[in-house]
Amino acid sequence: MNEILDIITYPFAYRALIAGSLISVCASVLGVILVLKHYSLIGHGLSEIGFASLSLSSALDIQPVYIASPAVIAASFVIMYVSRKYKTAGDTAIAIASSAALALGIVVSSVSGKTSGMSSYLFGSVLAVSEGDLVLSVILAVIVIAAFVLLYNRLFIITYSEDYAKTLGINTAMYQLVVSVLTALVVVMGMRITGTLLISGVIILPAVSAKIVAHGFRSLVIISGAISFLAFISGLTVSFVFNIPAGAGVILSNVIILILVKVLAKS
Amino acid sequence: MTERLRLTDAVIRYGDITAVDGVSLTAEAGGMVFITGSNGSGKSTLTKGIAGLLPLSSGSLVRTARMSYVPQYEEADRDFPARAGEIVLTGTQRPGKLFHTRRDREQALSAMEALKIDGLADKEIRTLSGGQLRRVFLARAICGNPELLLLDEPCAGLDAQSHSTLFGILRGLLEGGCAVVMVTHDISDIDGIPEGRIIRMSHGKISHSITHGEHGHE
Repeated sequence: MNEILDIITYPFAYRALIAGSLISVCASVLGVILVLKHYSLIGHGLSEIGFASLSLSSALDIQPVYIASPAVIAASFVIMYVSRKYKTAGDTAIAIASSAALALGIVVSSVSGKTSGMSSYLFGSVLAVSEGDLVLSVILAVIVIAAFVLLYNRLFIITYSEDYAKTLGINTAMYQLVVSVLTALVVVMGMRITGTLLISGVIILPAVSAKIVAHGFRSLVIISGAISFLAFISGLTVSFVFNIPAGAGVILSNVIILILVKVLAKS
Repeated sequence: MTERLRLTDAVIRYGDITAVDGVSLTAEAGGMVFITGSNGSGKSTLTKGIAGLLPLSSGSLVRTARMSYVPQYEEADRDFPARAGEIVLTGTQRPGKLFHTRRDREQALSAMEALKIDGLADKEIRTLSGGQLRRVFLARAICGNPELLLLDEPCAGLDAQSHSTLFGILRGLLEGGCAVVMVTHDISDIDGIPEGRIIRMSHGKISHSITHGEHGHE
């Protein structure tokens, strides 16, 4: 225990702890909407598009956030649009976009010769969290929580029945855009810590666990956020103690929680 | 009479397939329109076009903004973690209004009482029977005090008592000036409604249009 307390006195560790916790909670509450709307694969698709963006920004020596943020936001909007318009083609569109983006990222890294950071992009690194990232994650958390508080009724109705919301004259596309942009920002911020391969698990797994025990939309959002926070803290602790990548620790914690919840719910 | 709906020469296409072909109809305040026809005749597509869920390929649609739509029961996500009362309350949402008021909650409760489901308000929808969920959707539709009510196969899954309750509510809405457009594949569903217009669809077109009372001689 003392070892853990010692570790979090290091600046990189407390930055990872605070930024990671906030991003995980944001990811999990947005994940509730994505899971319920059957958009679970979107996080996976966006993270691989994020990987291509990071490879490109590394090759061009540009700050990753300048390329990754607009690229992932644009991709999220296109993927959600395709998923809504051609309901059965959504998963196919994500699979095509994500594999193409991953291949592009690998090609760009190989051609540019800048492959040293690839492991960090793929598997994440707690060392990657800067003071700037910490500030951005706090701002993002405030925006996501404010969006859920202020737009709760709208998010509920468009998640349950977008068609019904449309018949009431509600601008569903605008709220869908809000969810798309926030999801994209969470992916861009989160993939620095958990890696592009694992960020989708941070988005989806807590919501899947919470859905087993929640009795309503509001409780689902709150339980999903709580599970995500718990999984991040325990995963990060395990990663410090056993010197494994943080992303893997967080995902495994989420998976263990999912199994426990499933078992306890059955018993 | 105030017109709540005017559809003129509406055409709705899915790619190369024309599902609704040149349909015109009106619904006036206090008026009831039944749309009937066999499976694939285009009646549900027409209703979705009126609801604004499908764009018209050609033609025009003018309707009141205060419209409520009850989709087919099969379109519901039964696994969604929500309580019946929460679903009914969504019927009071309107553009520009982000929060529910006390009056909204009273209206939702009143609609649930009218449909005799106020005891189900705290039940999760995944635990409800098909008929109960159908009544939840009806309560959601009427709690917004609509001027135009679109119902797609509302009687499917309802027992005789619920059927009678539904038609009692519809009569009250009609007397209050609401126009009702109801899709049904079963012409016997219209028993209990004093008068209305029956439109029979075939291959996307209106094949017959008669007033209620004549249908026995059709």
